[in-house]
Amino acid sequence: MADGVPGLRLIAFAARMVPAARRATWRKEWEGEVTWAWKRLTSAGRPSTMAVARLRLRVLTCLIDALWEMKETMTMTGLLNDVRFAARSLFRYPMFTAIAVLTLALGIGANTAVFTLVDGVLLSPLPYSDSERLVSIEHLGRDGQDELSMSTGLYALYREHVTATRSLALHTSAAVNLVSNGESERIAVQAVTPGFFEVLGVSPSSGRAFVDEEGAPGGEQVVILSDGMWKSRFGGDPSAIGQSLDINGTNRRIIGIMPEEFGYPDRTAQLWLPLVVDPTTAPLAAFGPSGIARLADDASIESLDTELRGLISRLMEFFPDSGAPAFLAEVGLRPLVSPLKEAVVGEVGTTLLILLGTVGFVLLIACANVANLLLVRAEGRQRELALRIAVGAGRAQVLRTFLSESIILAGAGSLLGLVVARISLTLTTRMLPSDLPRAHEVGLDLRVLGFTFAIAVGCALFFGLFPLLRYNADDLGTQLRDGAAHGATGGRDRNRLRSSLVVVQMALALVLLVGSGLMLRSFQALRAMDPGFETERILTARITVPEVEISSWQEAAGFYRTLGDRLRGQSGVEAVGFAQSVPLGAGLGFYSVELEDHPRGPSELPVFASNNQIEVGFLETMGIDLVEGRTFVSGDGAEGTRVVVVSKSFADHWWPGRSALGRNVRLGFPEEEWYQIVGVVEDTHYLSLENDPQEMIFWPATIGTAANPQPTRGMDVAVRTAGDPTAFVAVLRREVQALNPRIPVSNPRTMDDLMSAATARTSFTMSLLGAASGIALLLGLVGIYGVISYIVSQRTREIGVRLALGATAPSVRGMIVRQGFVLTAGGVCIGLVVAAGLSRVMASLLYGVSATDPLTYGLVAVSLVIVSLSASWIPARRAAGVDPSRALRSE
Amino acid sequence: MGRLFSLTYPTAAVLLAIRSGHRYGFDIMDATGLPDGTVYPILRRLERRGVLSGKWEDEDLARSEQRPQRRYYQLTPVGEESMAEVLDRFPALVGLFPGAA
Repeated sequence: MADGVPGLRLIAFAARMVPAARRATWRKEWEGEVTWAWKRLTSAGRPSTMAVARLRLRVLTCLIDALWEMKETMTMTGLLNDVRFAARSLFRYPMFTAIAVLTLALGIGANTAVFTLVDGVLLSPLPYSDSERLVSIEHLGRDGQDELSMSTGLYALYREHVTATRSLALHTSAAVNLVSNGESERIAVQAVTPGFFEVLGVSPSSGRAFVDEEGAPGGEQVVILSDGMWKSRFGGDPSAIGQSLDINGTNRRIIGIMPEEFGYPDRTAQLWLPLVVDPTTAPLAAFGPSGIARLADDASIESLDTELRGLISRLMEFFPDSGAPAFLAEVGLRPLVSPLKEAVVGEVGTTLLILLGTVGFVLLIACANVANLLLVRAEGRQRELALRIAVGAGRAQVLRTFLSESIILAGAGSLLGLVVARISLTLTTRMLPSDLPRAHEVGLDLRVLGFTFAIAVGCALFFGLFPLLRYNADDLGTQLRDGAAHGATGGRDRNRLRSSLVVVQMALALVLLVGSGLMLRSFQALRAMDPGFETERILTARITVPEVEISSWQEAAGFYRTLGDRLRGQSGVEAVGFAQSVPLGAGLGFYSVELEDHPRGPSELPVFASNNQIEVGFLETMGIDLVEGRTFVSGDGAEGTRVVVVSKSFADHWWPGRSALGRNVRLGFPEEEWYQIVGVVEDTHYLSLENDPQEMIFWPATIGTAANPQPTRGMDVAVRTAGDPTAFVAVLRREVQALNPRIPVSNPRTMDDLMSAATARTSFTMSLLGAASGIALLLGLVGIYGVISYIVSQRTREIGVRLALGATAPSVRGMIVRQGFVLTAGGVCIGLVVAAGLSRVMASLLYGVSATDPLTYGLVAVSLVIVSLSASWIPARRAAGVDPSRALRSE
Repeated sequence: MGRLFSLTYPTAAVLLAIRSGHRYGFDIMDATGLPDGTVYPILRRLERRGVLSGKWEDEDLARSEQRPQRRYYQLTPVGEESMAEVLDRFPALVGLFPGAA
């Protein structure tokens, strides 16, 4: 069969509706027709979009064909009659039907929405051909303590020697200055080795991909555009290929345009540049870029892993003159090969699976509620059903009536549920954590529809079967003879069934409430935590000074200092600072350093720390407190006084109980100079709020040797303002423009934005769990209210007798509320046990609260009891208000 | 003899198309110009009523022409009988399908 024939999956899906006897023929006919039409369409080259759309539309009508086939069968088997009958009887009780359908729609909708997320992110394969053959290649050091990515040196080595991969590539994200018409803009790009597109199996929609020469020193300066870039900058003009773009001051020729849907790992990159690797000089131990590869046909992840381990153990042979192999051996470098999907999705899987479990619970509660409603209704219909049996309806027919009703309810519930899912997806995608991988792939599709269909069938069976369990034809025959039973033993059995459904609902609701309670406490703990820096009224933005723009180190370092002075001169500015990375800004360097008074022994591992280069005034701007010594002053730096400031945890780690001041550190590269520690500052949660504070070293804005000072060419500015910091963005841009119009200001954010982003996953999980447990609680309450009301209505006569015999209203109320309490208490006890068992799954999402936090459990249990007692209070009051004479007459 | 099916305009068009030599699903859709979703249900209904019969073409023939096997529809004797009424009631349609008369 020809490749890429559209609609085959749809046909396979629709075929399921066709009666089994005709299904194979039906499917073969449709597939044959579509395949042939597609072949004819594509035989003369690329078909027009119109023609493809027309064919797709035509294939879509297979659904109509399949539905007619289904209807025909249903008419023949009499099923259509059943459905008609059931629909009519449901319409007779619009209130009951509406509540049941709405309940189901909530449950099914929530499940469909979360499944859509899970499916898009976790289940569906990556959108590349043969994506299960794609792997990510990273490295680990120091027994997995250090996550190292790839280095260009290792890439060159692997590329030459590894046989277990068909192709191998590096990619790394970067930002460049794109200048056009004198205006400069900072945009996200990806630098990739030429094989990148080949590994993923994607080719440009027009033009060509990189060739090997373009990834080698001296290759032509070229660039590939994203579809978005091509459309926004060139209006989709095909003649863009061959034109040039001014990128970081270099003119690069456009050679290709990628398809609209392409992006790896996400769609942030707007341009792709060749990552130039010189195999003769590529550093072995400079980890940075990420590695991806496509496995060779006969290879597996294990065989690739073995091969890489072999190569790493022979590094000394390959690089006899370099010190790097010895260093990597000390670090205990080993490869980490994993399926590419795993690498892309990362740890978000746990969150999504917990959410899926959560909404699964909501669905169970919804089903239990509808089952309860159906049981109550079945009660009221005993005589009608008994009559039908008496006039000759078979037992099977009666059962079919029940099932048809369930199917209609489930069907209507899932249709409405799809609407609910659609709306809630639109709402949730707006609040998704921005780092959720593959979020752009999420959408309602056939698989999701299949899932919804499956849960609808599951629901129909679940609550359709409950009444069936209770009533069989023999019982009904007896009932017709004896008259409808009131308070007879059969009634008690049915009460027990309904009561156990309520207990289950309460237990499930408690589990969800505990889950959302724990998330709420985590969120509070994260929010209440002192991160070690201030966040109020601070604006940050990235300012990069490219070498082509300002080449000398004096001018580059001077640029930031002059800008700082100009900004301080503005009204409303309280403090200004610059750093390689502001807290939570994810730009810290993590590499090895040496300590003068802790010389490294031959078997010792290097000292690693987070390193940050900062300008004078940065620590003060961020409100990071000084513990001892001093912070930077003007004149500190490679060219002047070579000093550093370290964090308290770093000082305590290496000089416990003693002062760190006056000690010397230097970067862990040969020929570096010693820098003296002049200050110790408080610890900060620099990388993330959840992790422990990092051991950090703050370096001055220029590092290196006095003869060759190295400024940082990308810095985050931090401006503390007196008023609203966002109002200052325009001023910042203006001041930078005034100094050099070709230097852009990118990514302006407030520190509060960064804090929100850092707590985004927790707040996202908390909101969804909160919504789910709210629904669960509501449904649970409706359940308990319904059951108690029903019990009251059944016992009206008994209550009347009690009142007539002198029982007081409070004692009657107490009796009824006690019934509600027993149900709730049962549910709460079971729920507490289940929650304690399940909470371990949640532990990884929690912060500052134990998964079995007694306070959360206790509060949730007590509130659930109180709330459900109030739900039984209403029917209890009604019971106490029964007029004895009327109650006795009612029989 | 009473008809086994209601003779609507689309039904007549499908019958005429088949009689004039358009014998498989998509070809009939193209020939009649009817909305895509209507043709197959008509074919199925007519087949069920015995007006049409659908037969898979020879597998070897399809293979020799390098395409999937087709299901061809043809008029049954019952269908042939009803053609008189089609020609009578939809004379304008007949003009669109030369060879059907």
